[in-house]
Amino acid sequence: MKHETIEKNAGLMGVLIALVIAVAGMAEIVPLMFQAQTTEPSPGVIPYPAVELAGRDIYVKEGCYNCHSQMIRPFAVERLRYGPPSLAGESVYDRPHQWGSKRTGPDLARVGGRYTDEWHLIHLINPRDLVPESNMPGFPWLQDKEVDGELITTKMKTLKWMGHPYTDEQIEQASDTVHGVTEMEALIAYLQFLGVANNGRSQK
Amino acid sequence: MSNAWSIYIIVLAVGNILAMVWLLIITNRDNGVDASDTTGHKWDGIEELNNPLPRWWLGLFIITIIFAGVYLYLYPGLGSYKGSLNWSQMSEYRQARDANEEIQAEFFAEFVSYDIPALAKSERAMATGERLFANNCTTCHGSGGRGAKGFPNLTDNDWLYGNQPETILASIENGRAGVMPNLNLNSATVAVLARYLKHLSGEDGISDHVIDSGPKRFAVCAACHGADGKGNQAIGAPNLTDGIWLHGGRVSDIENVLRHGMQGNMPSFANALNSNEIRLLAAYVISLSSSNMADGSNTADGSNTADGSNTTEDE
Ligand code: HEC
Ligand code: HEC
Ligand code: HEC
Repeated sequence: MKHETIEKNAGLMGVLIALVIAVAGMAEIVPLMFQAQTTEPSPGVIPYPAVELAGRDIYVKEGCYNCHSQMIRPFAVERLRYGPPSLAGESVYDRPHQWGSKRTGPDLARVGGRYTDEWHLIHLINPRDLVPESNMPGFPWLQDKEVDGELITTKMKTLKWMGHPYTDEQIEQASDTVHGVTEMEALIAYLQFLGVANNGRSQK
Repeated sequence: MSNAWSIYIIVLAVGNILAMVWLLIITNRDNGVDASDTTGHKWDGIEELNNPLPRWWLGLFIITIIFAGVYLYLYPGLGSYKGSLNWSQMSEYRQARDANEEIQAEFFAEFVSYDIPALAKSERAMATGERLFANNCTTCHGSGGRGAKGFPNLTDNDWLYGNQPETILASIENGRAGVMPNLNLNSATVAVLARYLKHLSGEDGISDHVIDSGPKRFAVCAACHGADGKGNQAIGAPNLTDGIWLHGGRVSDIENVLRHGMQGNMPSFANALNSNEIRLLAAYVISLSSSNMADGSNTADGSNTADGSNTTEDE
């Protein structure tokens, strides 16, 4: 093929570029979508219950992922600090996952149970009340707003359609479960849920 | 990984490398610069020559292809082929983890014969205790263990549950849940009791009315805090007479506790830390307040008497 043919046909060039780029993805990503290791939950991992699911949205909305990762890498030093390495099967109900790569603050993949609810509340209102040297911002406004039950119901239905094993009962009760729950409470419930299936705090 | 996927990946990876080789071969020309061979591009009469790749560039290209071959032979990359080195990220992690555990075991072996007060006096043990404390405890108990509102100061000699090694071990291992119930007190009682407690803890200028009617109203509290208000370490009810306040010492803070009740929760570390680490931390906690136990002994009732102060511990 002459240079000219490719260079003068933007469409053809686009297809060829896409093909070249796709090769790596086809080898590295596509097979993962069909491996049990990455598509099936690790033991004890269940879909986020309604309140925790709502809390997860707040985590994303407030941009906590800009400073916190949720991915313990397989290094001995990380185990000492955060617990055993994260497994692919622990992220199957995360859409999208919150792995991240930036650690201004500590990794949160297994933070569930590490602190008490009261601690999280004080910390999220003003981190410096507990950790004077902290540069994490406070999020006091989360106390003022309640979680939207209808939105969570829709969301759970969608996730069920995508394969998350919610029961009809769970979806039916979702709206009642989150009724009157503030964004702060939902976020704390989410944090307390993180990694507990596998962080050594709920099971040996 | 199933065979089919394995083959799929191998075909893509090897095919990709072969395609590179093929590209090099079909574009290979060693006829040097040929002024008549142009790419067909023409700008204002200037033409672009279709020159062969510079040699150094070609050399690098070939090196990367060789590198890919060697790499895929040594390391896992081709489907389920494990590579001749049998390396994996997880096996490297496990090796590092086991090596680390060996170092730890060696370190702790040195201290098996130490009881907790003796550990607290070992500089080497306490250097490690300090790091464990920084990683696990300072977010609540503050750097240096000085506490925060709702989170007890561990450096004073004032204990909610006592400072015997066993109680401190239990605090860390099982966690603690201190519950001050909401007793539905009316606001007059709340106001009187809050000021009465200030009086008990030594504040001057409290009105006679409060001092007179306080004890009667305090009767419901005595079950937990003791008739003299000096607390009960068995249930973590703080000493209310020592002027040290877990939830704040202003009258309004105390009223807040009385009006709503209060809970203090310390999470259990039984599953997060091993027993060696917990013992070390218990010793470190004791060392934090050891200014009062210069001789390292803490008497059976939990009071530290080395400097003669503080014989009724609480909070
Ligand atoms: C500007 C960066 C930043 C942002 C944004 C941020 N954090 Fe943090 N976070 C930190 C830092 C730094 C620390 C460590 C100091 C501390 O404990 O406050 C921390 C600590 C924490 C901890 C304690 C973790 C541990 O293991 O000690 C939690 C939980 C937490 N953050 C949750 C959140 C949540 C939830 C959000 C979003 C609402 C958030 N953070 C947003 C920087 C940030
Ligand atoms: C989530 C916050 C939190 C963390 C983390 C935490 N503590 Fe505590 N700790 C508390 C609270 C709150 C209390 C008081 C419990 C109560 O009010 O009954 C307490 C009580 C204690 C006590 C009893 C104090 C007394 O006066 O009797 C000890 C000892 C103690 N903690 C040690 C530790 C050690 C050691 C660590 C680290 C391994 C640690 N704590 C981590 C919150 C925490
Ligand atoms: C069922 C037992 C119980 C009873 C009854 C009780 N308390 Fe308490 N109280 C506690 C416990 C346990 C705590 C510690 C809470 C914590 O760990 O945070 C506490 C804490 C307090 C505190 C906070 C102390 C501080 O250091 O900040 C005050 C003040 C107090 N109680 C006053 C009273 C008064 C006054 C009454 C009677 C009207 C009373 N309590 C009745 C168990 C009790």
